Amino acid sequence: MTDTLQILVTITALALATFATRVLPFMCFGSREPPLMLLTIEKNLPPMILMLLVIYCLKDVQWLAAPYGIPELFSIGIVAGLHFWKRNAMLSIFIGTLLYMALVQFNLFSFL
Amino acid sequence: MAMIEVEERETGEQNKDLFMIALKATIPVFLGYIPLGMAFGFLLDGAGYHWIYAFLMSLFIYAGSGQFLAVALLAAGAGLTEVVVATLLLNLRHSFYGLSMLEKFSDVGKVKPYLIFALTDETYALLTITEVPPRSSKSRFYFYIAALDHLYWIVGSVLGAVLGSVLDLNLEGMSFVLTALFVVLTIEQYFNSNVRFPFIAAVGAGILSLMFFRPENMLLASIVIGTLILIAREKFVKENLHVKQDIQ
Repeated sequence: MTDTLQILVTITALALATFATRVLPFMCFGSREPPLMLLTIEKNLPPMILMLLVIYCLKDVQWLAAPYGIPELFSIGIVAGLHFWKRNAMLSIFIGTLLYMALVQFNLFSFL
Repeated sequence: MAMIEVEERETGEQNKDLFMIALKATIPVFLGYIPLGMAFGFLLDGAGYHWIYAFLMSLFIYAGSGQFLAVALLAAGAGLTEVVVATLLLNLRHSFYGLSMLEKFSDVGKVKPYLIFALTDETYALLTITEVPPRSSKSRFYFYIAALDHLYWIVGSVLGAVLGSVLDLNLEGMSFVLTALFVVLTIEQYFNSNVRFPFIAAVGAGILSLMFFRPENMLLASIVIGTLILIAREKFVKENLHVKQDIQ
């Protein structure tokens, strides 16, 4: 019972902490104008954050050991190339993911 | 009376269409959240917790990497304060997402609290770039996207926790679908705006953070560094403008 209570308390605390990080900007700037500096960089935040999310996906890659992150970089290259060429989101995402799954499951870069 | 009925039916059909558009937009997140949620469920099951906790955590916390971190810390016997502080730091990046959503969320009405609650990396990425279909309700469309993503995450994590190690599906590499989604959305950002500097700032900040920060701190660190670069450049450009005007 104490265990159950403990995990319920933990879940509640984590739910509140996570929500706090998401609601913070809306609490700060909900009723008043955000400072000018913020407005000028606001437009630049989404492209920067999306690019950073791509880089973030590479956080666990071992660059110094085989296969040196080549499956990841290669698949990202294919997705980007396909998307610049055809601009069909589903096509780029599916081909890229199938390719990556094949590369890691059949260990196609094992010669490195 | 008949008029009203027709109108209602039309609205109903419009909503159905809108739901289908949202469903289509979230397919990549579905394909990513199911295996990722299952991985979380496996982990929680392996740590000896009942599947109901996978459900509760995914329903009320709803933060992918945050939930993984929580299980790891709980399994290691970390205290409540420790877990909360780690979660706050890990999820602080969401504050930056909110900053760029202030305007978009300013007129969405009563779904706003839920949209803020459900602002994960993936939902944020979809909302920044997916255009609301013409003559449709923005709040409804955003709500569909956010709630569908949330549902996928809950279903995935409960599946993983219930099935435990019974199932031996080889889903290795499937979570690359989220990487691919981010790549596609980044390129869409590139097409949709004429600003180029944010991409350069991101590459610089990203590589720096990959080199100098641990994986779990990397995203927040890179967003802070990137934002500082953006602010510095804004200041620099403005000052240059002032200097030029002074000379003239």
